[in-house]
Amino acid sequence: MSTAVATEPPRTNAPLTPHKLTFGHLLRGEWIKFWSVRSTIWTLAIFLLATVGLVVLISLAFVNAPSPEEGGPPDASDALGPLSFAVTLGQLALAVLGALTITSEYTTGMIRSSLTAAPKRLPVLWSKAIVLVVAVLGASLVAVAAGTGLQWLFFDSQGLSVDFSDPDMIRPLVGTAVYLATIALFSYALGALMRHSAAAIATVLGLLLVAPILFSSIPWKPLTLMAPFLPGLAGQQLTQTDAQLEMSASFSDVGADLSAWEGYGVLVLWVVVVLGVAAVLLKKRDA
Amino acid sequence: MIEAHDLTKRYGSKLAVDGISFTVQPGRVTGFLGPNGAGKSTTMRMIVGLDRPTHGTVTVNGRPYAEHRSPLTQVGALLEAKAVHTGRSARNHLRAIAATHGIGNKRVNEVISMTGLDTVAKRRVGGFSLGMGQRLGIAAALVGDPQTLILDEPVNGLDPEGVLWVRNLVKYLAASEGRTVFLSSHLMSEMAVTADHLIVIGRGKIIADGPVDTVISEATRSTVRVRSPQATDLAARLAGPAVTITPAEDGLLEVHGATAVEVGEIAAASGIVLHELTPLQGSLEDAYMSLTSDSVEYHSAEIPGAEPRATTTAATTTGEDAR
Repeated sequence: MSTAVATEPPRTNAPLTPHKLTFGHLLRGEWIKFWSVRSTIWTLAIFLLATVGLVVLISLAFVNAPSPEEGGPPDASDALGPLSFAVTLGQLALAVLGALTITSEYTTGMIRSSLTAAPKRLPVLWSKAIVLVVAVLGASLVAVAAGTGLQWLFFDSQGLSVDFSDPDMIRPLVGTAVYLATIALFSYALGALMRHSAAAIATVLGLLLVAPILFSSIPWKPLTLMAPFLPGLAGQQLTQTDAQLEMSASFSDVGADLSAWEGYGVLVLWVVVVLGVAAVLLKKRDA
Repeated sequence: MIEAHDLTKRYGSKLAVDGISFTVQPGRVTGFLGPNGAGKSTTMRMIVGLDRPTHGTVTVNGRPYAEHRSPLTQVGALLEAKAVHTGRSARNHLRAIAATHGIGNKRVNEVISMTGLDTVAKRRVGGFSLGMGQRLGIAAALVGDPQTLILDEPVNGLDPEGVLWVRNLVKYLAASEGRTVFLSSHLMSEMAVTADHLIVIGRGKIIADGPVDTVISEATRSTVRVRSPQATDLAARLAGPAVTITPAEDGLLEVHGATAVEVGEIAAASGIVLHELTPLQGSLEDAYMSLTSDSVEYHSAEIPGAEPRATTTAATTTGEDAR
């Protein structure tokens, strides 16, 4: 390198400004970190595209389908169907983002810079989590609004369009965004625990995608009984209307029928346990 | 000021740092020397709390590093090059670190130009050379304008201009601003011109701790080169239990363990003519080799036909010296 090298300018011995490590400053630092890597932009872009795109595609397919009598589009009680399907896929991008937020610091060695700046360690874990949840919640609200909004336009506020004036619809719509942010946080907690990108992403995808299929296809009663308590299945209760929950409860004859908030509570419990263990280990382990 | 007391770190069955105690004083550059695996990096990592000591304590300006309200203005540390997310630009990396202490972009730009990174600051760190990564690590250490600077192998990978810059910077910070500088390096010639004080570590234990001159003179035996037409006679008179004499060539002796003053006086007393009397100053490298020869963890294989390792600056040696 041939760049000019300047010498340290003379300065007074006492620090001029009282720079201090505070939680607010730490949040600011994590905010800069979060938005200054490409993986954030990519995963959020893929999430938005996949979620909104799938809602649009499914809606368009129904718009052009024949009437309900001929096996065409379902009625308005299934208005959340396209969004649910889109979220099942879109959440994977957020799970990747959540894990990478912390595992990329371990794979690159950045964690040592982070923990040197904030040697009490746990505030780093919390501030990263807050930045992630805020960003994902924002992106999810945009995705839900854009998806269901377009769906509403396609159906000209008739048929399968989501009835925004129905108070029973607000909880599942906002709940979808809350669910997505919590899944990102769950993945983040696994990342903090495992400190390894591939291991964390494989585990969270296994729990969200593979485990539900496995648990329902193996005819062994303990598995069937445990299935509703898987993080993805439990949390998704919050994305359903009460009517939908009642209907699916009437179909299933074994296992627990969790209400929306019970299901979400189970997901939160998963997060608390995994993040708690990760926090204890972060405090104990050498970085 | 850094104070370590009975600092110990055990990884499984391996004792990396074995109960060391030392003090790094402000106002001077303290060099930290030791072979690979001696425990230098582990010690430095324990100072900033990245590794937890198995036993013992280490404090910076009177309290453990993590207890400071503003750690980055207390200690700036370069522990390993590229403790940096490779996908982030150099500038954003520094901004994120600075933001944790409420330090603004003005200081970030200052350290960027100070370390000569202006032209590459917007580039992602993944494409940086070793030297640029090292400059970024130094910039990150300086961003809090810290009272104490801990640099692990700072000149590793730097070009000569960068080496000179680091040397001048640390000397300036220590001597003119009274800050504490703790610096490790494998380049002993560099350490000899940079450090004021030396701590030598081997196999997790401190071997020497003192001013650079003292460490060198204590670790290297004084050697004197004498040329005399009566060399054989002189050798007989000099001989003693603490003195080893190596005939280098006809009429030339290398006397280990006696000073030039002693040799000169013995020669005068015996009426022996001297044509040359040269004290040979040991180098830091000699001191280092002699201090750590027993504590090198990873021995290199001998290269057949290679010159034996010199123990004095005048490199004629015999079996006694070549280890």
